[in-house]
Amino acid sequence: MRPPQVQIDFGTPPGSPPRTSSEFEEIPYPATHPFYSTNSQSYKHEESLPLHHMNEDTSARRRVARGPGSSGGFMSGDEHENEMHYDDDGKDVYSKLRPARSRVSSGRVHRPPPPPPTSISEFISQNLEHLPPVIYTLLSCWTRFHKIGLANTVVWDEAHFGKFGSHYLKREFYFDVHPPLGKMLVGLAGLLSGYDGHFEFKSGVTYDENVPYVAMRVMMATFGVALVPLGWYTAVELGMSSWSCHLVALMVLCDVAWLAISRFILLDSMLLFFTFTTVFLLTKFHNQQYQSFSFDWWMWLAFTGISIGCVTSVKWIGLFVTAVVGLYTIEDLWDKFGDLRMTNRDQIRHWAARVACLIVLPILVYMLSFKLHFLILNHSGPGDSTMSSLFQAHLVGNDFGKNPREIAFGSKITLKGMGWGGGLLHSHVQTYPVGSGQQQVTCYHYKDDNNHWTVLPTWEAPEYNPNGELQFLQDGDVIRLQHVPTTRHLHSHSVAAPVTKLNNEVSCYGNSTVGDFHDYWVIEVVDDIKQGTKEQITKIHSLTTRLRFKHQALGCYLYASNAVLPQWGFKQLEVSCTKENDPEDMHTYWNVESHWNDRLPSGDAKFYKSPFLRDFWHLNVAMMTSNNALIPDPDKEDILASSPTDWPWMRLGLRMCGWGDDQTKYYLLGTPVIWWGGTASLIVSVIVFGVYLLRHQRKYIDMTPQQWDHFLYVGKIAGYGWFLHYFPFFIMGRVTYVHHYLPTLYFSVLMLAHLLDHFIFSARWKDSTKRVSFGICAFLIVGNFWWFRGMAWGIDGPINDYWGLLWRKTWNIYNA
Amino acid sequence: MASPPKPRQRRQVASTSATGNYDQDDDDHVHAIYQNPNSRSAFERVLDTPQASAAIVGVLTAIAFALRFYKINQPDQVVFDEVHFGKFASFYITREYYFDVHPPFAKLLFGLAGWFVGFDGHFKFEEIGNNYTDSHVPYVGMRALPAILGSLTIPVVYAIMKETGYSTIIAAFSACIILFDNAHIAQSRLILLDATLIFFMSLTIYSYVRFRKLRYWEFTVEWWSWLIATGFFMACTWGAKVNGILTVATIGIAVLVDLWDILDHKKGFTMEHFWKHFMARAVGLIAIPFIIYLSFFYVHFAVLTHSGTGDSFMSPAFQETLIGNELLMNSQELRYYDVVTMKHKDTKVYLHSHPDHYPLQYDDGRISSQGQQVTGYGHDDINNHWQIIPTKALPEAGRGRVVHHEDVIQLLHVNTQTLLLTHDVASPLMPTNQEFTTWPKDDHSRHNDTLFYLNIIDADSEDPWKSKSSHFRLVHGTTRVSMWTHSKQLPEWAFKQQEINGNKNPTEKSATWFVDQVISTESPEGLSGEQVPKEPKKISFFKKFAELQLLMLQHNAGLTSSHPYASGPINWPFLISGISFWTENDAQKQIYLIGNIVGWWTCVIALSIYVGIMGADLLARRRGIEPIPEAARGRLWNSAGFFLLIWAVHYLPFFLMSRQLFIHHYLPSHLASALLAGSVLSFVLSDTVNYPISIVGRRTKMRKSEFADLGMKGPVVVGMFTFILFLMFLYMTPLTYGTPGLDGETINAKRLLSSWTLHFAAKEIAEIS
Repeated sequence: MRPPQVQIDFGTPPGSPPRTSSEFEEIPYPATHPFYSTNSQSYKHEESLPLHHMNEDTSARRRVARGPGSSGGFMSGDEHENEMHYDDDGKDVYSKLRPARSRVSSGRVHRPPPPPPTSISEFISQNLEHLPPVIYTLLSCWTRFHKIGLANTVVWDEAHFGKFGSHYLKREFYFDVHPPLGKMLVGLAGLLSGYDGHFEFKSGVTYDENVPYVAMRVMMATFGVALVPLGWYTAVELGMSSWSCHLVALMVLCDVAWLAISRFILLDSMLLFFTFTTVFLLTKFHNQQYQSFSFDWWMWLAFTGISIGCVTSVKWIGLFVTAVVGLYTIEDLWDKFGDLRMTNRDQIRHWAARVACLIVLPILVYMLSFKLHFLILNHSGPGDSTMSSLFQAHLVGNDFGKNPREIAFGSKITLKGMGWGGGLLHSHVQTYPVGSGQQQVTCYHYKDDNNHWTVLPTWEAPEYNPNGELQFLQDGDVIRLQHVPTTRHLHSHSVAAPVTKLNNEVSCYGNSTVGDFHDYWVIEVVDDIKQGTKEQITKIHSLTTRLRFKHQALGCYLYASNAVLPQWGFKQLEVSCTKENDPEDMHTYWNVESHWNDRLPSGDAKFYKSPFLRDFWHLNVAMMTSNNALIPDPDKEDILASSPTDWPWMRLGLRMCGWGDDQTKYYLLGTPVIWWGGTASLIVSVIVFGVYLLRHQRKYIDMTPQQWDHFLYVGKIAGYGWFLHYFPFFIMGRVTYVHHYLPTLYFSVLMLAHLLDHFIFSARWKDSTKRVSFGICAFLIVGNFWWFRGMAWGIDGPINDYWGLLWRKTWNIYNA
Repeated sequence: MASPPKPRQRRQVASTSATGNYDQDDDDHVHAIYQNPNSRSAFERVLDTPQASAAIVGVLTAIAFALRFYKINQPDQVVFDEVHFGKFASFYITREYYFDVHPPFAKLLFGLAGWFVGFDGHFKFEEIGNNYTDSHVPYVGMRALPAILGSLTIPVVYAIMKETGYSTIIAAFSACIILFDNAHIAQSRLILLDATLIFFMSLTIYSYVRFRKLRYWEFTVEWWSWLIATGFFMACTWGAKVNGILTVATIGIAVLVDLWDILDHKKGFTMEHFWKHFMARAVGLIAIPFIIYLSFFYVHFAVLTHSGTGDSFMSPAFQETLIGNELLMNSQELRYYDVVTMKHKDTKVYLHSHPDHYPLQYDDGRISSQGQQVTGYGHDDINNHWQIIPTKALPEAGRGRVVHHEDVIQLLHVNTQTLLLTHDVASPLMPTNQEFTTWPKDDHSRHNDTLFYLNIIDADSEDPWKSKSSHFRLVHGTTRVSMWTHSKQLPEWAFKQQEINGNKNPTEKSATWFVDQVISTESPEGLSGEQVPKEPKKISFFKKFAELQLLMLQHNAGLTSSHPYASGPINWPFLISGISFWTENDAQKQIYLIGNIVGWWTCVIALSIYVGIMGADLLARRRGIEPIPEAARGRLWNSAGFFLLIWAVHYLPFFLMSRQLFIHHYLPSHLASALLAGSVLSFVLSDTVNYPISIVGRRTKMRKSEFADLGMKGPVVVGMFTFILFLMFLYMTPLTYGTPGLDGETINAKRLLSSWTLHFAAKEIAEIS
């Protein structure tokens, strides 16, 4: 048993948390322990401390119970001081143990559900707390829908997403770097509003009268409307005082950037919506933690998973909020792992529940969105060539089915790289600026004549005779590949390739009469999806046979890497010749895609199915490759792009459309108070956290463990969220824009509200002080919004007539 | 085997508080093991004696010298980065100013070594493969310096392990990993900075360990000495190569952890006591190192007093402090009505104009103003002459006629008597930029478009415009574009000269020009031509230091061009690829920087074992199980943890850098991983550790001690490992020493990983047909 004189040990170095026996499990005080677990035992330790260092004033200041309706705030009327749980903590630290209720001490204070209402007035009084969010939602409807059709032109990225939406209506396969859910919803909005998909959505073009763009915008903006109540209820679930809930709702309502981005046919409103729902559902789930495996617990956990699936299916940026949930879950599980009283069965159930709901479920949702994508888009369209040849053959309107099946000398073919994200073997008249300086050979995702190659015998062999006997291609044949438009031959030599320097360069060389033995390629058959393994193959078939091309002289293999050529290669994929003979390397696999040969009968349209998982993976790799290709181009100054360092202090805004005097102008810029306040609060939060830690190390007790838990919990949701939504942009090579910060902003808003809550609204100030502070904050937010409202609602007439918008010199609002 | 095997899992008897970290102060802990030093195995006892330890370290050091000096004169040619660092050393001897991204300490040492062996500095190390013997360069003396430092690293590594409390045999193990490492040897036999960096880095670690061990003797002379020694060596590390900053970061983190501990109220120290500690570290680890670091630069500037290749990197004010500098010789103040030529700073073309006009329509259909062409021209020509015309009333004579920063001027093309002008017409090549042309000087209709602000970079309002030294931008008065040029040529109609246009960004960095020559002047000084050398100006050391430091940072980040042997950090620990340092075609000799694959992979395995053990320990403790005895655990957390910290801090930041990276950047981390490998081996072989190892203070209560005992298996395992290591080293020696030459088949055999790109390899693929 434990000796009576308990040795208190909070700050042990990480190596050795003091332990005595299993009966007295000590979880170190959060100072050295980054997780917010507390149980009654550790709480008891705290209580046995003589608090001689404690300053009564500071310790007692933050003793107001949290949550709207349960504490001070202008909707709740009077304060119920005597009902507050912690009120007498500071006075009597030796008092009785808290009931086990305090197991989850962070988040919203749990209250039992009220009895069923017996009269209407009782019903109203019970649901009075929902009145403010309803009002805010109505306000939000007004801000989001106000003058939404003012600009009757295609604004900004509507050019992309409107077009993609049209593709769903026309059911034509297209390719884009973003996952399909958001764009399917755009398509759905189009469908519901009676749009037939005919419009081309060229940037800046006026909508013709058959395009119900207002209805589509309204549907997109509805996602934006929902942000406001979500913000409110998230704040409630986070256990903020009602003052802070109001502030969160106000900030979400009044941010001009969120408003502006929600009012057009863009993916961002959906991305924001699902980001918000994920955070909301996570907090909801957290508040169910006191009753694990209850129905509610399962429900919120599953909803969180579905929400994760949705957010990542809109844009990959959604992975960041997934990471927040992941981090929360890891901490939570680590905590449970240390709970020695929990049965093994429960441990396993906890783990299994997380895996099922937060990993499997989101993946299923993500895959489902792709399944729908493939089901809807069953016609040939502009994005065909990103997919495998077999997939394309299934699209309605594709003529691969008519390809002659067997390839012969003299056939005109296109070759498809079978590596993930591979394209068609391509060449164009431009030459390499480095290496040999000969004509470039690349991999290209779009179909044009520059992808066409003719299969010819070697220079030494008798010249190909178009009227001679048909000679079918076989494994081991030595061929030349002639580029049809330029008549040059596919060629390789021992010159380093431009990007993958260890490989040989592949170029096009000579002309129809000039060439050498460096033009010779040996066909090696890998296998055939239809005919089976190599041994059973007699002739090479289009679409189904997988081939490798070995350079006869150098022994290297034709290789389509995922490396992207610089601007001189038009950002197409590099083709090189790899010296490594790795028979498993998909990047050296090719198949014949299109095949033209007048002398051969056209094939039948029966194909083996292209499996969904393969297509799914293929498309994702292609998206990844294209995404990585969106790197900033040092040669080209892109005035729209910005770097992550520009965002927190709003160094740059973004002109969303043309800036002519007769155009309606939209400028993507946040409400300065909200952005600056949020960023400042993040800095303050780090400092405050450090100060609390230091004070703890010197044994000042500022908060009870519960309060510290709560402080950490909310701080972590906001802090991790912000960090995870911001820093990855530094590592990503791709070009970034201001609107990438918009999901990030939410977490800085939460942090701002949290700090205000911590220092003002939930602290022991006089009610009047709180009221005044709230008034100031609300005034600043609303006033600021009103000042800049034109940026989101549209500015007509010459921009220079509007005064006072240029708060930072770097904003390009005015025409110089 | 004297000591009975002990069970791995042992419950401590009523240990109410954690001990085992060797920095624990409370002493109410009774160890289950109380060990008599004489109860250890005989072998361990013998090895533990000072004589045995000295003998082992002596042998290791001797081998280290032998391996690093063996054929050090081979090859007698410039190898890899000797191109740079040899050249820099020669500049110290000829006292010519140069610019490099690395701090000067190591290069100063090379200069010193070169001077010592009588190198006259006239060999310039122009290209890899240049011959030393033909040019009579005493290169062996210069190479001896890194070889000595590299050899001395071995005993330091040994001492670190020994001081940290490991057995002699474990210390020898860590030392051997470095001793027989091909990469370390190749790197320290050549005139390269890394040997210096690694030597001082290991000394820093050693001093810090000694300092930590003295923590119960705070503020004694020894304590202060090791503190200051840590700071001193740290400054040397940082001064040797810019990567040394990572060593500073490592020590910084360790000190923060240490201070956090002192701050802990349970230790019962007062705040005064804490501040005393804080100040001591501030002095020893911040102030003193910084002064030493500064002093390297002081010497650097003091030695390099002459103009040299580094001039053009520096600001004009800096350049004027160098003897023989062109700016110093030729810079003069410009006055109105002077005729000058102007050069673009980046592309070195003159501002030029000639009577030909822009064509009415360009190929892409855009229309021009058909004005007189203004172009950039690379050669001296009378059409490059421009006269500076004032826009305000001037006094008859005197200083009032000098042109100042932010004056509004016009530029008159002397040959055609037209004024430079720009207007809102797109330039021939770039639709976004404005066209530059000229306008007859007597036609005042376009007067406003011929006004330009003279914007001298980094100037104050009243600074005069000087030839050569004033870098300026010419900003147009009404449209705020700055005169700019880029390397694209205009078509035939402009004789393929460079386009000049107006860049819409008035603060564009590359829109920088300077006055190259003064053709005629009314200045009383007249044309300064071949004059007597002027006295160099002086600016304060701190200004110079700040300027250079900033430039070094900028250029370091700017080294992004690709290099065939650059590799990503993720490849390094696994030795995926090396660097071809030097080749000689005739004899098929080559030097290929690659580590000893046995040693490196052992280190990687050790790292993963360590992470595995610690992870498992954390999980087990979370479940209330304590699998590792306290003392061993404390050692793993604290000393091995420190080694892991060194490794991580010297390695992980490279992932964030976008500059060119090479495998030799991993060598400091490799050293740290060798230390960690020693700790892990010790733990794997035995639960026992030497404990406590810190020096007992006056007020520390005595604790029961424990002694490491590896028994026979220690020497056997380490012996066998070292033997394999040595064989692998021998196998790779031809690539490390660059001799003898190898035939293709042998090279193929030595290519242990397919990713190594060795030269002269035989073709693996048999030819067909």
